[in-house]
Amino acid sequence: MSDARVHHPGLFRATAGAIAVIAVALPILGGVMGGISPYFANIIGQIATFALLAVALDLIWGYAGILSLGHGLFFAMGGYLIAMHLLKAGFEFSGITPDFMIFMGWSEFPGFWAGLEHFPYALALIVLLPGALALVYGFVSFRSRVSGVYFAIITQALTYIAMLLMFRNDTGFGGNNGMTGFAEVLGQPIGAPSVVIGLATVSVLLLLAGFLFAGWLTGTSFGRLLIAIRDDEARLRFLGYETLWPKLAIWSLSAVLAALAGALYVPQVGIINPRLLSPDLSIEIAVWVALGGRGALSGAVIGAVIISALKFWLSGFAPDLWPFILAGVVLVVVVVLPNGLLDLRGLLRQHPALGNILSEKRNG
Amino acid sequence: MDKVETAAGDQALQVDGLRVAFGDFVAIPNLSFLVNFGEVHGVIGPNGAGKTTLLDAITGKTRPAEGRILLDRHTDLLALDEPKRALAGVGRKFQKPSVFEALSVRENLELALRLRPRSILGELRSWSDPRRKARADEVLEEIGLAARADTPAGALAHGQKQWLEIGMLLMQRPKLLMLDEPVAGMTATETAHTAELIRRLRSPERAILVIEHDMDFVEEIADRVTVLHGGDPIFEGRMADARADARVREVYLGR
Amino acid sequence: MNFLPRFRLILPVMLAALLGAQAAPAAPRDDLLAPVCTGAFGDQMAALQSIARYGVEGGGDAAAWALRVVEAFDGRALRCGADAAFIETGDALLSAATLEPVSAAEAGELSSPSVNLRLRAVSASAAGLLTLMTAPDPAAREAALKVVSKRREAVTADLLERIAAAEADPGLKQAVSELHASMLLNDPDPQNRIQAIRAIGQTASQRNLSLLTQAMSAEKDPQVAAEAQSVIAGIERTLAAGKLMSVLYSGMSYASILFLAALGLAVIFGLMGVINLAQGELIMIGAYSTWLVQEGLRAAAPGLLDYYLILAIPVSFAASAAVGIAMEALIIRRLYTRPLMTLLATWAISLLLINTVRVVFGSQNLEFHQPGYVSGGVQVLGDFIMTMNRLFAIGIAVVAFVAVLWLLRRTMFGLNIRAVTQNREMAGAAGIDTRRIDWMTFGLGSGLAGLAGLALSPLYNVNPNMGANFIVDSFMVVVLGGVGSLLGAVLAALGIGQINVVIEPVYGAVAAKVLVLLLIIGFIQWRPEGLFAPKGRR
Repeated sequence: MSDARVHHPGLFRATAGAIAVIAVALPILGGVMGGISPYFANIIGQIATFALLAVALDLIWGYAGILSLGHGLFFAMGGYLIAMHLLKAGFEFSGITPDFMIFMGWSEFPGFWAGLEHFPYALALIVLLPGALALVYGFVSFRSRVSGVYFAIITQALTYIAMLLMFRNDTGFGGNNGMTGFAEVLGQPIGAPSVVIGLATVSVLLLLAGFLFAGWLTGTSFGRLLIAIRDDEARLRFLGYETLWPKLAIWSLSAVLAALAGALYVPQVGIINPRLLSPDLSIEIAVWVALGGRGALSGAVIGAVIISALKFWLSGFAPDLWPFILAGVVLVVVVVLPNGLLDLRGLLRQHPALGNILSEKRNG
Repeated sequence: MDKVETAAGDQALQVDGLRVAFGDFVAIPNLSFLVNFGEVHGVIGPNGAGKTTLLDAITGKTRPAEGRILLDRHTDLLALDEPKRALAGVGRKFQKPSVFEALSVRENLELALRLRPRSILGELRSWSDPRRKARADEVLEEIGLAARADTPAGALAHGQKQWLEIGMLLMQRPKLLMLDEPVAGMTATETAHTAELIRRLRSPERAILVIEHDMDFVEEIADRVTVLHGGDPIFEGRMADARADARVREVYLGR
Repeated sequence: MNFLPRFRLILPVMLAALLGAQAAPAAPRDDLLAPVCTGAFGDQMAALQSIARYGVEGGGDAAAWALRVVEAFDGRALRCGADAAFIETGDALLSAATLEPVSAAEAGELSSPSVNLRLRAVSASAAGLLTLMTAPDPAAREAALKVVSKRREAVTADLLERIAAAEADPGLKQAVSELHASMLLNDPDPQNRIQAIRAIGQTASQRNLSLLTQAMSAEKDPQVAAEAQSVIAGIERTLAAGKLMSVLYSGMSYASILFLAALGLAVIFGLMGVINLAQGELIMIGAYSTWLVQEGLRAAAPGLLDYYLILAIPVSFAASAAVGIAMEALIIRRLYTRPLMTLLATWAISLLLINTVRVVFGSQNLEFHQPGYVSGGVQVLGDFIMTMNRLFAIGIAVVAFVAVLWLLRRTMFGLNIRAVTQNREMAGAAGIDTRRIDWMTFGLGSGLAGLAGLALSPLYNVNPNMGANFIVDSFMVVVLGGVGSLLGAVLAALGIGQINVVIEPVYGAVAAKVLVLLLIIGFIQWRPEGLFAPKGRR
């Protein structure tokens, strides 16, 4: 991307503001005042986790120029870990054997599940395990200067293989049924309206936190370093920078954010299954970011929200139409709006009539 | 124009028996030459003569099959990877201007200074170090872009981008400054400005290697020139003598 | 008159002889038939066996008669009279001994012989044996042999020997001999058993192996046991070799398909830096075009149905090429400087293609008719049969490889492609129409994928989502083989194909893919540009 950095401070603030408003409105409207059904809140919560996932990808793709087409792997890792926690905690607490265990034919959980009923431990794993995997994989790839398209393909292959692995029953994670039957989260029954709204609010809050953090990070000197890496890594090396470490740092951070998003997503949909690992889903994340405009975190959020909302809306009455619409959207974005919706402002400005109105508004 | 007498300074760069091949194609069969501190040394030759390949070998983009490259008499460049060679004091300006278009002119310059060469984390923390800003200001003056300090580099004119790139190299006070076709695509005014810039860059702590096609330009700025043909040095000496040399005329100048 | 008295003597003798001659054949048959009607259960069984023996030993007419009788018994059409047996056919009655029609009055009172399951087993066995001997059609004989192998009640070794000797068809002859040999394995004489073992050992197959192993476990005679042991070892060696070849062969056929798919990818990536995520769908289009050719022929020229695979060669190539060219012209041409955007665009196109095909044709697997020339196989070694369908895939890949090689090396087109790949600007400056080269090359790469779809249609499932199975592996081939290298693609495809096929039966498909991926990642560490790096500066 050799375009000048698209810096939209106004848009960033607007987006952050909107997210904050939702974070506040959800518990109020959902709980006390009514007006938002738990179902609707749940959808908002899910979309928030997707938005966070998009931000995670934008950090590495929009700012460091590393495209991962397998980020679903980290998302799913967070999801599987939280699922394990929920199942174990629920079992320890209530003694009721979850469906998942019955399906697997277990009378008790395998050894490595030990301790997962404790939320702090589970949280620690959600941060550490995907981060560690990202570190290892990143180190191995970046060191040998695998980049660009090759890197993207290999991340795809990784998530594809993880999906195949998880589809097998004897991998021990429920096979293609996945894991479900979550009874409660942190001691609260998972289906209760207050919990649903609570989870949704937490998701939005986490999105806000992640968004603000990413915004801050990209404004620092580290952020500038990443942009330099994205635009001309070779040049940066000729200036004396070992680019391995900054890339590794942002790559691992991105993985952790994705995992956290996954850990919030799964309790809200009530199930995790290997389809989350499908390459198509991982590519969709890139589509969200590309649609919204990469390299300007608001774009990632906007893209994720628009496409997820569209999908939810359509799946109600025309699910077969969705792939066509998605494909159409991508093709339009890619051909007409190379920088995503953020280009829209520029395009509009070029339009004679609208352009004048817009400039007038700015000047007047 | 005024020419500084070439001081018999220390050797900044010593290239010995360099051989570079790509598969069956031998770009440089056997090249040896010296560049001294305080000198501006021109490397000229037709397209495909191996000039850029030479720079690639020195900076580490290409691995030579044989040969030795020493910086400042004791640093074996071939033992280092690209970032380390840069930190050792090799600065290269590419043919196509490669500045970071998304960052401002000042940010480009500040990025180019490595105060803490051993750690990137340390480097980032030193971003706010006043020395960095001071040095950037100095260089901004030297290259004449102080007025555009906060413009995104992508918005600069072609010539300005070239100067910015030179400026980025200057930030690090390189021992060896290599310029690959610095005036390519420049207007006459820009070319003159560049010549002056390069003359000002001359310093006893620095050796400057310039690759160019523009003969008049090279004559203005270079103390000595090496003429390459097919990777072979066919002449080394003063530019005026180069023009007179029969072999050079036959191969390159054509008149 | 002197000769009259002599005549008077000769005539009665001649008459008696004539009568006797007529009566003589009938008598044994009557004797054979009698116990079927009157005897106890054990006698009935023995009688059926004797009838069978009589038929086999007599051959020709005797065998035909015996078969008729046994079938009648089996079909409950045999009737027992006072002292003779009859066969009831529809409304007529035949003498069981002579097969001549008789009137109901002559037959007298009739009853049915007692028949139980055991007896029917014997009669079925006997019928099989006799059919084996007499049926003119080899297919019928083959079916009879199957019956006889399962039902041995009327079968003895010497009968089988006779039948084997008389059998004209070599395959059947061998099979009967094997059956004979397996009976011999239980022969009381150790020498005969050794002979039988050796005879069976001639054909190395899993079946014979278990036959011998079974026989050996019950064997008491050490000499025979030793013989069995060594023959078994020999068979096992041959089987192992056959298995190895079978695996390699499978690997080669998978590699052929991978190669075709990856070749297209490599061509496109090498030229334009475009990673075509829709390559799997171009394969799918090739397979679907093949099916359409089949259906078209079925409707319009059913006589030519068998040739659909051949006719589909240009069709599948053209169909996928057309789609590829459309992709290039409409979308990809606008994205050349942005490889990551082309990635997304090709993915969107793949989504579009999959769903369009799904809507038009449905999600089910397509049915492919197997023409004769890709059915069956050639038995090579042990249980390894070189199947024709895999050979077809390998053949197409080889032809494509040669064709593309020739195209790239020997034609102007190929030269232009190589020029544009190495230095687009220079090539353009030299007067090459780079736009044309772009879409033609894209067409070539897509067409190759179409051929892959054709090649795999006799082997793998064809449905809208099939592309996904090959795309990851194809990418691995391109990454490993190095961009733009034909030889690299071949070697990489062979390597990946073989590894997949070798590991899959042991550890499963997933493990195979994991291993391949890890190997490739490891390999890339060492040589990031793949097996064969592209020449020239990129």
